[in-house]
Amino acid sequence: MEKYIQPFVDVCVNVFRDFVGAELTPERPHFSNKDDLNEWDISAVIGLTGEARGAVVISMKKQLACHLTGTLTGATHSDLDEEVVDAIGEIINIISGNAKRGLEEAFRLVISLPTIVKGPGHSVQWPNGQARIICIPFHIFESETFCLSVAIEASNGA
Amino acid sequence: MSERTVLVVDDSRIMRNIVKNTFATMGIPCQFLEAGNGREALEQLEKNKVNLVLLDWNMPELSGLDFLKKVRAMEGYKDLPIIMVTSEAARYNVIEALKSGATDYIIKPVNERVFKERLSKLEI
Repeated sequence: MEKYIQPFVDVCVNVFRDFVGAELTPERPHFSNKDDLNEWDISAVIGLTGEARGAVVISMKKQLACHLTGTLTGATHSDLDEEVVDAIGEIINIISGNAKRGLEEAFRLVISLPTIVKGPGHSVQWPNGQARIICIPFHIFESETFCLSVAIEASNGA
Repeated sequence: MSERTVLVVDDSRIMRNIVKNTFATMGIPCQFLEAGNGREALEQLEKNKVNLVLLDWNMPELSGLDFLKKVRAMEGYKDLPIIMVTSEAARYNVIEALKSGATDYIIKPVNERVFKERLSKLEI
């Protein structure tokens, strides 16, 4: 599964540079457990189907979500309002769609529309029996972080 | 280029605004119509004379690809310029869209340089 992670790392760095004008520093990816408590305020989820199945999730604190949205709208955002939901959903959509290019030799994927989960310490339920979840932490701006989580495996179990 | 009508179809309002602002930055005079999915876009086409459609792929109700197929099957819309503007970056997606009648294909995130390059090829 690890071989499928690099396209997501590369695409995430490029998308943040081109879309919101921010440089990212990726940290070492690590496995996370389905039951791990999280510290985030908002997550955007894209489901993966086709010749592989899984999901891609971006999670971050409210402050960062509002900051990123502001770079796209030119306005100030202080709550997880409709525009913040729109912006974070579009970011995960662009990351997932672009990552398909790096995975096309392995399998053809179909991506879902984004689903947003928000609230302090919210949880994202990952199905049992699915591939292990790999969390890729990224540093952004001076001291903020977010996490891109990916679980993906070929539909035939490879 | 005289003022033309551009239909921007995307379920993200932020993306629709980014596309419109990119056109404004390029100094292209046009008026915009907007739709949040393929069904709304069909309604806009029925009511208005449109010179160019900028079309997202993944949208609720009616996807960009399904909208594209429907429009190409409609009388009088064979030559309407329809540019896909989507995050779907895999080559098999690009091929599918072009085979279904897309005039061109732009992968998000969008930027002014790419828009200029692609629009210069169109006679709108």
